[in-house]
Order: sequence, then C-alpha cells, then structure tokens
Amino acid sequence: MRKRSLLPLIGVVAIVASLVVGPAATAGPEVAKAGTVVFIHDQEPPNLNNDLVGNGLYATSLVMNRILESGAYYNAQARLVPVLLTGLPKLIKTRPLTAELEYKANAVWSDGRPITGADFRTAWRTYINPAHNVRSRTGWEDIQRVNVKGKKATVIFKKTYAPWQELLSASPLPTHKVQGQNYNQLWLNSIDVSSGAWRFQSWQKGVQLTVVKNPRFKALPTMKLDRVVFRYILDTNARFQALKSGEGQVMEPQAQLQIADFRNDSNFEVQSLAGFSYEHVDIQFGPQGHAALKQPYIRQALITGMNRAQISGALYGTIAGRLPVLNSLIFKTFENGYTPHFSAWKFNQAKVISILKGKGCTGGPDRPSAGNNSIFSCPGVGRLSFRFATTTGNQLRALTFEIIQRQLKSVGIELLPRFQVAGTLFGTTLPSGDWDLLMFTWVQSPASKITSKDIYSCGGELNYMKYCNRKATKLMDATAQELNPAKRQTMLNQANALMAKDIPSIPMFVRPEFLIRNKKVTGPKANPTLTGDTWNAHVWTTK
Amino acid sequence: MLQYVIRRLLYSAVVLVLASFLVFMFVTVSGDPLAALKITPNVSEETVQNIIERKHLDEPVPVRYYEWVKDALTNKFGTTLLTDEPILPDLWRVMKNTLQLVLVAELLAILIAVGIGVYSALRQYSVFDYSMTTFSFLGLATPVFWLALMLQVAVVQIYLATGRNVFPIANLNSVDPGEGLSFVIDRAHHLVLPVIVLMVANIATYSRYMRASMLEVVNSDYVRTARAKGLAESRVTMKHAFRNALIPLVTLVALNFGTLLGGVVVTETVFSLDGMGLYFVNALGTNDPYPVMAWLMITATMIIIFNLVADITYGLLDPRVRYD
Repeated sequence: MRKRSLLPLIGVVAIVASLVVGPAATAGPEVAKAGTVVFIHDQEPPNLNNDLVGNGLYATSLVMNRILESGAYYNAQARLVPVLLTGLPKLIKTRPLTAELEYKANAVWSDGRPITGADFRTAWRTYINPAHNVRSRTGWEDIQRVNVKGKKATVIFKKTYAPWQELLSASPLPTHKVQGQNYNQLWLNSIDVSSGAWRFQSWQKGVQLTVVKNPRFKALPTMKLDRVVFRYILDTNARFQALKSGEGQVMEPQAQLQIADFRNDSNFEVQSLAGFSYEHVDIQFGPQGHAALKQPYIRQALITGMNRAQISGALYGTIAGRLPVLNSLIFKTFENGYTPHFSAWKFNQAKVISILKGKGCTGGPDRPSAGNNSIFSCPGVGRLSFRFATTTGNQLRALTFEIIQRQLKSVGIELLPRFQVAGTLFGTTLPSGDWDLLMFTWVQSPASKITSKDIYSCGGELNYMKYCNRKATKLMDATAQELNPAKRQTMLNQANALMAKDIPSIPMFVRPEFLIRNKKVTGPKANPTLTGDTWNAHVWTTK
Repeated sequence: MLQYVIRRLLYSAVVLVLASFLVFMFVTVSGDPLAALKITPNVSEETVQNIIERKHLDEPVPVRYYEWVKDALTNKFGTTLLTDEPILPDLWRVMKNTLQLVLVAELLAILIAVGIGVYSALRQYSVFDYSMTTFSFLGLATPVFWLALMLQVAVVQIYLATGRNVFPIANLNSVDPGEGLSFVIDRAHHLVLPVIVLMVANIATYSRYMRASMLEVVNSDYVRTARAKGLAESRVTMKHAFRNALIPLVTLVALNFGTLLGGVVVTETVFSLDGMGLYFVNALGTNDPYPVMAWLMITATMIIIFNLVADITYGLLDPRVRYD
C-alpha cells in the first residue's frame, strides 16, 4: 500500500527532475553541427505534393523546389535561368507553336537514373489527367503532344500559349516513380527521389522538416551544407525571438516592426526587396457598388485625394527604406517595361475639392481640413460615403485604411470600414460584388502580366470590379497570343494607359519581401519570385 | 451507480449528436468552403468538380451531415476537404502533445497549489498566507499571452547576455532531440516555459479553492471532535481535514482537465506547440469543416467524460452524495 502511494510522487519527482536536468543537458543554440542551417518559417506544408489542390503554398515551394528542381528558375533578379536544362527552351516554329528543351547530360535523379525528355512528358501527362486533383492545368492542356528523344523533348501546342517558355521550364517528374501511381496520394508525407540540391530526410509534423544534401545533383554546384532543417514556428513574435536566441539562422518574415530591431543588430543581415505581390484598392463598377463610383470624376477624386507615397512611407519606412508608389496595374516598379501611367494622378487635396465642386457636388468643405466632418453629395449619385472592405487582423492594412480614411475625410469623402476575415472577404464578399472599395494583394509571378486579362478585361474570370474597357480588353486578350515579348510589353502598356484613365483600381505599392540571416550563415539571398529564397541553397555555408 | 453512469452516457450521446449537427450546420452555412479555391487564378475546374463530388458539396445540408457521420464512423473521421488526407493521424498526434503538456502542468499545479492552500489555511493571516494571496491574485490577473511573451523575452535576454540558451522559445523538441531518455529530457526542456505559463493561472485558482475548502473543514465539528479525542494534530490535519478539503478541488480539476484537453490555444500558439488548440486554429484558418468537426467531437467527448468523472469522483469521496 505504501509503495503504491509512492508511485505518483516518484512520477512527479521524475518529471520535475527532467525539467531541471533538461536545460543543462541540451543547452546551446540549435546549430547541432557544422553544415546545418535551420530555416525558421511561419507555415508548414500541408503535404509534399505541391501540384495538388490545397497545396501550392510558398511553404511547400521552399522545400520542394529544391527536391523537384525546375528546368529553369527565376533568379534573384527575376530572370529565367537554366538549372536542369542546357539552356532556356527554344522556339522552333510559331504555327503551330513548337518548342524544344534539352536536359543537361549530368542532370540525374537522386537514384542515379538520368533525367530525360520522357520525364517532361510524364509531367504533362500527369497534369492533364482529369482524375488528378492538380491545382492548375493552365498551359499544359494547350499542349498537343510531346516528342521525346533522349534528353530532348519537342513540345507541340494546340494553340498559342504566350508564357510557353516558363511552362517548359517546369520541373520534370520522375517517370519511374510516377507511372502507375495514384498521383493524388503520391508524396504526401515523404518523397524518395530528388532532382535538386537536396533530398528529403524526415518530417516531424508540427515541428520540423529536414532535407539533406543530394550528392548526385550536378546540374549546379553540389550543396555545401550537410542539411537544412525547416523549423515551423507559427507565432510571429516567437519566430523573431527564436532567431535572436540562435534557434534558427535564416528567416523570411512578413513586414513586421521587429525587423527594424534586426537591422540594428550586427549579428544579422536584413535583406529587403520589392516582390511581385502588389497592394491595390479595387473600385466596384457593378450594380451593387455605389452609383458615384461609376462616374470618372469621382474615381479621379479618390486617387487624387490619397497620398500613396505617405502611406507606403508610414507602413514600411522604418523596415524597408523608401518604397516607391506603384503606378501601373500590370508592371511592377522594378520590371523592364514599367511605365508609371498612374503617376498622372498626383496627390492634391485642393484639386479634389475643385473637381467635386466643378461637377456640382455640395455639402463638402471649401478647403482641405484635418478636422473636417462635412461630406460631399453629388448630383444624381448622392453622398460620397463608401464601404471600404479589407481583411481583419492585418495591422498594416488597418493602418493603411486609417490613413486613407483621414486623407479623404479632410476633402469631404467618407470611408466606412467593412473589415472581414480573409475567408469571408475573398470567399463571399469579393466575388459577390457587394462592396464599394476593396483593398487586397494580388500575389503574382513574373509571367502573371500575360494573364492580366483575367483581372481587368471585360468579363475576366477574376474581374470582380465588373470593369469593362473594350479597347483595353482587346489589347490584353491579344497579349495572351503574342509570342514576341517586346510587342507584348507595348500592348500591355497601352492597356495600362487606358486603365490609368479609367481608374478601375488604385495601385498602391509593391509589397516588400524580407530575408534575415544570422551572419554565421553565408549565401542566402532574397528572391522576389515564387522560386523562393532557397533558390541558391547550393552556395550556402556556415562559419 | 452503474445505472446512473449508463443513463449519463446515453444523455451524452444525444448531446453529442445534437452538438455535431448544430456545429456542422453553422460551419456549412457560414460559407462555401471552396470559395477561396474558386477565386484562385488558373485553378482547374475538373479538380474543383472532383472535390464537390467526393465531399457531396452539391447536396443539401442534412445529406452532407449524413455523409460526414458515415465517413466519421467508418473511416476514422474521414479525410480533409482539399488534400483528401486522413484526419485521425494528425488529430492523434496533436492530442498526445496536448496531453503531455496539460498533464505535466496540471500535476505540478495541483501539487504546488495543494501545498500552498493547506499551509495558507493552517497559517491563516500569516506572512506566507498574505504573500500567497497576493501571488494568486497576480496569477489570476496576468494574461496568459503576456506572461508567455515575457518569458520568451527573458530567455532571449539571458541568451544575449550569457550566450546560453536556457530554455527553448518554441516548438516541441530540438533539431536533434535524440532517442529514448534524451528525447524525453529534450521534450521536457521544451515544455518548461509553456508549463510555467499554464501552471501560474492554475496554481492561483487551485490554491484559493484549497485554502477556502481547508479553512471550512478545519473549523468543522468533526475535526474539533477528532482533536477532542486526543488525536495528533498531523493525523487530524491529514486524515480528517485534508481528505475532505480535497473534494471540491478534485471536481474542479476534473472539469478543468477535460476542457484543457481540447487545447490550450493561447499557450500552444505563442510557443508554437503542435497541440489541439493550434490544430483547431489552423483548421479554422483553412476553412476546412472536416478537421473542425473532428476536433469538436473529440473535445466534446473529453468534456463529457471528465464531467462524468468529476461527478463520480465526488460521490466516491463524499458518501453523502447519492446517484439517483
């Protein structure tokens, strides 16, 4: 009896002892040994098959892009450069669109089998199989056939597909692993093959995923590190604290004020650069939107009344330096071809009042005033009071709204906040068209501009603004069929110029992306595209 | 008593069915779970259609509920909406993690709180009693997230000052946790900060209950009688007073434990612990009703079981309680 009553006590003592002994036994930073880098990330992949619906997450790309390596990827300058391919895919003829790719002689799978044109054909066949729950078949379904000859593949399209070069640069899939398998269930929790710098080792769900050097990867220099461990820490503050306390060495934070702290710390390097995601305020043209927004002068008043430079400075000034205002709905500020058509609309509060009064609007202030409470009413469209929708829980968006609201109120335009959780905003409100102004981010890639028609053309799949300009639509539709990049650029800029006059959406700024590295690790370099910041993991080293 | 337990279990089954239907309905009518997918550029229509058919999303709510119940009962809570991955392995993993955290925190909290409560009652209005009362109020008033954050900041400051990482900031184990005993030690090391956070509020609550209960008992007639009989003070305290004073605490702990097994959302989130609370938050974030339903059923079952355990234990400890 006495012995039995002692058992719980012994258990408790053991637990307490382990808590006390623990620190001494395992104290020290997480760099377990030389050649290991711990990459702290805020999201864990749902599974390892990034092609499947429900995935396609950046968190998965970070790991899998170096396991199923691309034929060619976007480097830090957002230029497409060959990796497994001998060069970028070549155009053979335009009618029908025919292109060719060839894998390097030393491009092999981690089990020693060569990567051949058949592996590209396997990727195509996998993606167009209707039984496979792949995220996107765009481009793949336009392929008529793939002819294979050893390391080469010749791809013949059914119809012109403008971003063909990016499509043909996609990762080949290992025929010997994919054939005869149910792709919907393949590589969910592990993957036993690699064509990239590292291969999968283990995944402790909810904690970490470990990849190790793939010694057979010769398409680029072999990885110098022994392994990279992705540690998943979902809480923002904990991520920063973990980096600071040496539990990890590399991190890609969202724009947060804590970044400023690392900028002043000599043990860390903070890299920031503009990415392909851009923040914008869409304007509703449909029947459920405010009638005033269909009037061009009201849209002109809105964009003229917003000090976009001040907003980007307030949001990112301390962590990313000077962030330029975005003045195009198609090109990003750092891209070739960027023409700032929207810069015609300069911030001028006095001009807003003059525009509105000139159109017979009444009830507003005579001059801009921070304390103004008078709101304009305009002939036939009523009071200039608009519902402004955006996501809840995003401090930067809340701050953006607050600044815009004050700026516009001081010139007699009222904004009413309609913040919603992301699921409701993007799932219900945005497609319904029942909003006046809606602020969010489009996450894009260098090739996205070719599909601008989906967002801005009449009846476009993602045109929730219900905006329609026939001329701009014709230009954007044509770019999807145009194979000459220079001509495409000209047409897109012509479309952008037309949109800058119509103002269907107000471009705000390109969102900056950040990479923080502990200086004990050399090599990590931020990449603005979805290739991910592990794009050059083969050159990373530890001191 | 057996009859009572069976009756309670039958009631509980009805409650579970009703709760599951209501929650399923609320989750379903709150929006199209595929809405976000449908507005994603270039998503394949065939893929969307495959999911709709697989999950019967084009059927009325009662039919969908029936399909979910069938799937849950025959297929271990079924699979996730988009990726069609089995739910139970993930749920089982996070349950074990939460159980480790909650069990250690509760055991330590009870041990410390009982000691504090008993001693405070026996030394009422002493310096110790006042100090512990102050500590209890502080513990109750301190927000969990704030305490967790402060502990993390303190650990980082110690690291910056000494170069020693005394406690990990986040996660359940180190990069190389080892196996066997070294894994256990590593896990315990990682749970130190979350356990402290959970313990603080629980010690505060339990010690107040224990003190009040003990005070009531030590002043009762039967304790006075025991003393009058000439029993030693230690025997009076431990045998007659302490055991009876434990009764309300046992009930409280049982109820609290059932709730905690559903996940300690704030603690698990701040320390990025892969537990039930974080699982629920993530499931809500992905707008996937099926993991949410599975989580709800497990949590509701735990709460019902521990409510029953509390009632039964109360009866066992206090013979005056009868089960009708």
